[in-house]
Amino acid sequence: MNILIVEDENSLANEIALFLRSENFLCDIALTGNEASEKIAVNLYDFVLLDLGLPDYDGLDLIKEARKAGSEASFIIITARGAVEDKVKGLDIGADDYIAKPFALIELLSRINAVARRKFNIISQDIKLGEFVMQIQSRKLYCMGNEVDLTKKEYDLLQYLALNREKVLTRQQLYEHIWGNILDDQYDSNFIDVHIKNVRKKLNLHAPTPWLETARGIGYRITLNL
Amino acid sequence: MIRLKTRLALFNLLSKLVFTALFLLFLPWIIERINLRQVDNDLIQKREQVIGLIGRIGIDPFMTSDTTETFGSYNILKEEFISLEKILIPDDLNYIEVTNRLIEEEEISYRVLNYTITVDGQKYLLEIGKSLASIQTARRNIYKVIIAFLGIIVLITFLTDLQYTRLLLRPLEKITNKLKGISDPSSFDNTPVKTTTSDFYSLDHALRDLMKNIGELFEKEKEITDNVSHELLTPISVLRSKLENLLLREDIKPEITAKIEESLKTLHRLQTLVNSLLLIARIESRQYLREDTFYVNQVLREIITEINPVAEDKGITLEEDLEHDFQYKGANRSLIFSMFYNVINNAVKNTPSGGRVTIKSLFLHNRFDVIISDNGKGMSPEKIDKLFSRFKSRMGSHEDGTGIGLAIANTIADFHEIIISVTSQVDKGTSFSFIFP
Repeated sequence: MNILIVEDENSLANEIALFLRSENFLCDIALTGNEASEKIAVNLYDFVLLDLGLPDYDGLDLIKEARKAGSEASFIIITARGAVEDKVKGLDIGADDYIAKPFALIELLSRINAVARRKFNIISQDIKLGEFVMQIQSRKLYCMGNEVDLTKKEYDLLQYLALNREKVLTRQQLYEHIWGNILDDQYDSNFIDVHIKNVRKKLNLHAPTPWLETARGIGYRITLNL
Repeated sequence: MIRLKTRLALFNLLSKLVFTALFLLFLPWIIERINLRQVDNDLIQKREQVIGLIGRIGIDPFMTSDTTETFGSYNILKEEFISLEKILIPDDLNYIEVTNRLIEEEEISYRVLNYTITVDGQKYLLEIGKSLASIQTARRNIYKVIIAFLGIIVLITFLTDLQYTRLLLRPLEKITNKLKGISDPSSFDNTPVKTTTSDFYSLDHALRDLMKNIGELFEKEKEITDNVSHELLTPISVLRSKLENLLLREDIKPEITAKIEESLKTLHRLQTLVNSLLLIARIESRQYLREDTFYVNQVLREIITEINPVAEDKGITLEEDLEHDFQYKGANRSLIFSMFYNVINNAVKNTPSGGRVTIKSLFLHNRFDVIISDNGKGMSPEKIDKLFSRFKSRMGSHEDGTGIGLAIANTIADFHEIIISVTSQVDKGTSFSFIFP
């Protein structure tokens, strides 16, 4: 998929591009609004990651322009201004999602994937986790035909790990994804540990869970190629 | 509270009624005076006619009988009478009085004119009387007409006054309506109110100027926080992406991975701190809307569900005592969530294993009250004083967190006009009470 990264901070644009390329995306970078405007007019993009804090351009105008020109690119707004109005306005004008700086790269990736699934009408495949089957559509987990009883947060946690399987997700990334709306000042939070512990306890009643690994000191990972 | 329009109308009506009542109180006396004067004039006119008659035909036709020294005449209904009587009093009499006379065994009240006339050296007393009964009937009728007339006048003037004050005060009403329910200057309707009254014009003008200035100040502040936000968060974002990309590389030794992870944690601390300060700045410059309506207990239950796993893990009981509920209008739900979340989370953090945190909602003196209490380590009075100030709460050695959670809670409470009070005893526990407006 083709992605245009519109971000005036050069090093941030490069880091995002580096990460997304490693995930097999084709990335283009525009450091100014004008450059972005030209590139959108000439090239076909599936996604535009748009920083609203451009010095030369109102990012929202860029969306309007692109829509007028018939571009079908999905816009994901990236902003550090954090104003609630910007978010609402952006989504009104036709942005597909909104992510606040500083974000985890893995979070950005999962947002892109979510928008892509919506856009291309991809029906999510069930994910097989050892003896367990995760039905993404119905948001339920089964073990040999029996539904595993999980709370909403526990399911969210497990699904986020499953969708990003084979990658270590840090506690912070997991926490931000699930409790993103809460500004918690306990940066050493054991929230995630407690939830993972509970998830393991519930799942182990049905079958063992060697695929849910603890990455010492960092976080957790779902590995299916044992 | 009574509206100005109603007040004016009430005063108007009241003053009219008082004056009318006073007038009606004196009315009988006034009518009586007028009537008596009329009767007296009548009597004097009659006296002149009688004197004229005597001058023309002499006194003899009246004094026909020798045996009586008196002449008397009254009409059939006894409304009037005239009498002439020889008298020997040397003084000349000339006065009008009210007396009762007995005529054919009937006592009637008369207004009587007494007058002495002298004919051929002989003095006669002329009495002309007029019955007061007829006057009284007339008086009653006049009274009725006047009352009816006054009633109509009072009603009409009251209604026209009411209409006029309503018209007059309409601009003022518009101005107050514009101010009603405004939580920040940007929602103020800045179109001038049409008025020909100079007072209202200056009021409206001053108000609009004021709102414009405040609005500009708010706008400036918002711009500053937005810019500060961008300037602070972009470098953090750059660092974070770099570190996360590094972490993904497979050629890195585990000890370096650990160091990167440490750096990410520190960076996250910085990020949380910056975001917290920005949040406080945004709330204080009124960048959040207060447009949600929700039940407070529902928010509390959500938070309890969120925090319960961690509390259970720590061996702390979260006790829910939500008897009374409160529908909160004109608030920001996510901010209220943050406020309670921070305080409950703080309570769980500061309570040792085996302790209890109670969340209670009730109505106290007609005001909704949420009380969050724990039986944890408690605080000294000096510490309570510093609890809500932004950076002072890091006092104990075992505390974690940037200590800003309670400062956020306090800012949110201020924004919503919720009163927070804290009571605490060392080693017994702490209790936070939130009194809703």
